[in-house]
Amino acid sequence: MTMLKLRNLSKRFGGVVASEDVNMDVPGGKITGLIGPNGAGKTTIVNMITGMMPVTGGTIHVGDTDITHAPAHEICRAGLARTFQNIRLLSEASVLDNVMIGLHRHERSSTMAALFGLPAAARETAEMTERALALLAEFGLTRFADYPAGGLSYGHQRKVEMARAMAAEPDFILLDEPIAGMNDVESDALADIFRGFAAAGKGVLLIEHNVRFVARMCSHIYVLDGGRLISEGTPDHVLNDPVVITAYLGGGDDA
Amino acid sequence: MSGFIAGYIPLLDLYLIHLGLAFSQYIVLRAGVFSLATAALAGIGAYTAGIFAVKLGMHPVLGVLAGTVMGMAAAIVLSIPLARLRGVYQAIATVAFIQIFVSLNIYAEPITGGALGLNGIPKTVGTGILAIAAIAATYVIWAVERGRLGRAFNAIRQDEAVAASLGISIVRHQMLAFALSGALAGLFGALEAYHAYALDPNQFGFHLLITVLSYVILGGRNSVIGPVVGTAILIILPELARFLAEYRMVIYGAMLIIVINYMPKGIADTVRDAVRAGRLKRRGEDPA
Repeated sequence: MTMLKLRNLSKRFGGVVASEDVNMDVPGGKITGLIGPNGAGKTTIVNMITGMMPVTGGTIHVGDTDITHAPAHEICRAGLARTFQNIRLLSEASVLDNVMIGLHRHERSSTMAALFGLPAAARETAEMTERALALLAEFGLTRFADYPAGGLSYGHQRKVEMARAMAAEPDFILLDEPIAGMNDVESDALADIFRGFAAAGKGVLLIEHNVRFVARMCSHIYVLDGGRLISEGTPDHVLNDPVVITAYLGGGDDA
Repeated sequence: MSGFIAGYIPLLDLYLIHLGLAFSQYIVLRAGVFSLATAALAGIGAYTAGIFAVKLGMHPVLGVLAGTVMGMAAAIVLSIPLARLRGVYQAIATVAFIQIFVSLNIYAEPITGGALGLNGIPKTVGTGILAIAAIAATYVIWAVERGRLGRAFNAIRQDEAVAASLGISIVRHQMLAFALSGALAGLFGALEAYHAYALDPNQFGFHLLITVLSYVILGGRNSVIGPVVGTAILIILPELARFLAEYRMVIYGAMLIIVINYMPKGIADTVRDAVRAGRLKRRGEDPA
C-alpha cells in the first residue's frame, strides 16, 4: 500500500521555527488526523506537502516518489489533492466548470488540437463534461451544475470543493479544516463522504481544530504544538495525554 | 449605394486589424497575465514585414509569416522575466518594453528608417485578406475558450494556488498565452504594414496600448464576443460624432473610467451573465 511519508520535516522563516522535525505516516485507505491549537503549524505542514511553500529541511515521499521540492502542479500529478481552509472556488465559474478544472490532470489532447479546435479537443471536452456531471451526481450537486459557484451556500461550496479535489482522482487527499463553521448536520454529511474516500482506498489526512470530530473519524492522530509533534497514537491515547491537555487548555509553567 | 459602402471600407479595414490586436490583448488577460505588450509586439511584426518588403524585397507571404514568427518569438522571450512578476508589476514591465521598442526603433535608423518611419511598402493586403485573418483569429480564440486551455486559463486567472493544486502548470500555460498573443499581434501588425504603405514608430506606442486595452475592457474580458463588440463600438463611435474625432483619446479615457466603475465585466460579459442568470431563474430553482 502506498504511503505519504514525512521525515524530519522542518520550516523556518528567518529565525522563527514554524515546524521542526515532523515525522508522519499517512497510509492509504485510512483517515489520519492532525490536530493542534491555533498557530500550531498545521497549515504550514499542508502547504509544504502540496508545494505551496518551500521546505527548509527533511523529506516528503508519496510511495517511492520524492516530492519534497517538486512544484505544486507536479505534486498533484503524483496523486495528491487538497481542499483549502477558507474555501477557494472559482466563484465566477459555474459549479460544473469548477469540477471540470479538477479533471485537468486527465486531459490528454494535444496543444495543437486545443488551439485549432480539432475533433480530439471537442471529444475530450464532451468526455470531461460527462465525468464532471457523474461526480456532481455522486455529491448530490446535480441541480446546481449551471449556477455560479460563488452563489452557493457554505455547505454546498464545501461539497463542490471536495468534488473538484476528487476529480483529480488522487491517492491522497488533504482536508484543511473542512468542517470549520458548519453545524452538526452538515459536518455529519461530510463525515460520511470522508469515510467513503477511505473506503475507496484513498489516504485521507484530516487537519482539524475540532478534537471531537477528529477523534470520531480517525484511527491514528498526530498532535502538533509550536511546530513540533507532541503526541501521537489512537484517539483514546492522545486525548488523555497530559501534554495534549496542557497544549489545548493552557496551564503548566511555560504558559 | 456602392459609393456609400466604399466610403466605409477604410473603417472596416481598421476594424479588422484592430480586432486581431484586441484578441492579442484579450488572450493574455484571459490567462491572468496583466501584460500590455501587444502594441510593441504588433510593432515588431509590422517592422519585420516592412523590412522584408522594402529592404529585402521579399514576397508579402514571407513578410507576414516572418512578422508573425517574430512577434511570437519576442513574446516568448518576454514571458520569461514576466513569469516572476505579478499584477501591476507585469503592466509596468510591459509598458517599459513598449518604450524600449519605440526608442530602439528610432535609434536603429539604417534598418527601421528611424523617426521618419518606413515608407514605400507595396500595398498587397486588402479587405478580403484582413477579413480572412480576422475570422481565423476569432475561430482560434473561440476554440481555445471551449477546450482544456480555456479551462486552465480560467483557473489560473481566478486563483493561481487552486490551479497549481489541481495540476495546472502556471508557467507553461501563461507562456502559451503569451506566444499566442505575440503571434496574433505580429500577424496583424504585419498585415497593417502591407495595408498602410508606411510605418511610423510612434504608431505602436502608448497610444495604441490604450486603444487596444479599451476595446477589451469595454467589450469584455471573458468571452470571445467581448473584443468583437468593444472594438466595433470604439471604432464606430468617433465616426458618428465626427466633431469629436479629435478628442478620440479623451473619449476612450472617459469611457474606460465609466465602464470600469459601472460595468466592470464589460458590455458583452455583462449581457451574457444577465442572460444566463435569467435562464436559471426561469428554471425556477434557487441555489442557496
